[in-house]
Amino acid sequence: MSDSRRRVSRGSQEESASHANGMGGRSRPDRAADTGDEDDGAGPSGIHEEDDDPARRREIRSQYRDLINSVQQNREDMLNPANNKLIDVLEEFVHIAREAALDAQLLVLATDLGREKASQLHAEGSSFDPSAFAEHLLSFMGLNRLEEEEDDQDGCLYGYLPPDAWQRLSKRAEYCFRTAPSFHYMLGSFLAEPPPPRQRVERQRKAPSKEAKRMMPTQLKKMEESHQEATEKEVERILGCLQSYYSDDPQSPISYYEFVVDPASFSRTVENIFHTSFLIRDGLARIYLDDSKLPCIAPVEEGEVEPGGAAARHQCVISVSPASWREIIEAFEIKEALIPTPKTLTQEN
Amino acid sequence: MSQRKRVAAVGSQTKHFRRSQQVVLDEDDGDMSLTQPTSSQVQKARENFTPVQVDRKVAEVVQFILIKDQKKIPIRRADIAKHVIKEYKALYQDIMKRADRTFEQVFGLKLVEIDSKNHIYILVNKLQPVPGEPISMCPGNPKTGLLFVILSIIFMKGGTVKENVVWNTLKKLRVDVGEKHEDFGDVKKVIIDEFVRQKYLEYVRIPHTDPLEFEFRWGQRAEKEVSKMKVLEFIGELHNQEPQSWTQQYREATSVETSQR
Repeated sequence: MSDSRRRVSRGSQEESASHANGMGGRSRPDRAADTGDEDDGAGPSGIHEEDDDPARRREIRSQYRDLINSVQQNREDMLNPANNKLIDVLEEFVHIAREAALDAQLLVLATDLGREKASQLHAEGSSFDPSAFAEHLLSFMGLNRLEEEEDDQDGCLYGYLPPDAWQRLSKRAEYCFRTAPSFHYMLGSFLAEPPPPRQRVERQRKAPSKEAKRMMPTQLKKMEESHQEATEKEVERILGCLQSYYSDDPQSPISYYEFVVDPASFSRTVENIFHTSFLIRDGLARIYLDDSKLPCIAPVEEGEVEPGGAAARHQCVISVSPASWREIIEAFEIKEALIPTPKTLTQEN
Repeated sequence: MSQRKRVAAVGSQTKHFRRSQQVVLDEDDGDMSLTQPTSSQVQKARENFTPVQVDRKVAEVVQFILIKDQKKIPIRRADIAKHVIKEYKALYQDIMKRADRTFEQVFGLKLVEIDSKNHIYILVNKLQPVPGEPISMCPGNPKTGLLFVILSIIFMKGGTVKENVVWNTLKKLRVDVGEKHEDFGDVKKVIIDEFVRQKYLEYVRIPHTDPLEFEFRWGQRAEKEVSKMKVLEFIGELHNQEPQSWTQQYREATSVETSQR
């Protein structure tokens, strides 16, 4: 069996991470080769009787294939640093190899895995786990973890990262760099650009203003009309009241206070004073002081109206406050308004 | 026009160069004439040009390098020679020495050669950042944080990582290379194009892999610009561990520190 001897010598030069001796280059699965675990370099003398039995060899081959399959399927599992399945496989491998055939395909597979696992180990010091690193980074960046989520499959895709998360990290990470600050001109370059934008702005401004002016007059007219109407109407109405009261009893003077005051409403009182003042201004009514020096109001007779006439024209400013209004009501015992409010008028009508 | 001489030793995926870099094509010629002018040539050149003219050249070189550094893409010596030095070729050494001194004394920067074979330079800050003092008034550039994360992973994993490790870790940080990101846009492009071109990272093909796989390493700029010790210290802060607990990385960080002093 010179072949096997050659393979033995070649194999012993190889190193493997497994417990079995480094043996064999490429061998076809069917060939039974000599193995020396304890008996090194056993050579032909190490042939066991079982090797000659085809049935036994078949059994061994199938065990090998099972083992190869399980290693290939569970590769990911095996690479997990947390478990030692690889060691179990290797132990089993040793067990079979001692009995009979050595399958180099399995050996290559096992050594490959062994190499990767070895590179994962750091002989001294802590290990570094990128996932844990990511978690710490998220906390640093200010992740708001949502407490309610219990059923997270990926474990860390819940929670809300603030918008400045990466800036926060960058600001701290900058200290690890010795970056030269980028050079930029402080004041920028000189380019003559301003003029065009200004023209555009002016044109835009002109157009709206014209339209706006056109709009204004119509609006104003409407407003003034409505205001004027209301005031005129009210003034006329009050004149009507005054005249009717006067015609009832032309001899008894009408007290100004009693006329304008509305005991139920201070604001109505003010309005009445306001409207009555128009009557005075237009010369349709006059205020005079009676014997008691209290003001009285009376309509001016048709014939007496003298526009801008010789009759002495006086001016006075009347002011009234809620307090004085109440005093007047008390003093004159005003029970009801002589000028009815517009609503009551319509009701009467 | 054929593209000769790619950027040094990187399995870069950038197939096209930017327009501004097409002028690089003749660098071979420029490079050869720069090497070793004879002392008599140098002497003659010194006589031909007035000190004022040479001063001006130095200033032009300084300005050229400052502008080129804005994008953080390393500057080739050939470019400096071709665009600035031009007919002052023989005085190249003089001019560069003075430019060097200007950077150090006026700006507090250092002109560092990151590739001695291809003569490529970067500017780094001579001043160490002081913890507690703000580095700049500008808000942090998010790309710095992204770069830091990738450099950290590579360093802590022994200097080389398969690209998937980086992609998976970034995904946990809500940065998905398949999607457009709020701060980074096309993340993959930023990482394997921009960072690689700036020489912060190397993106190298792993031989004999099918389908094609790549791995990341620290780039030549990172080696000069980034302090491994400071990176380790920050990682320690994040994990609430002493940097010394990662003994191998600590050893590497301290050896780099001492060699750089």
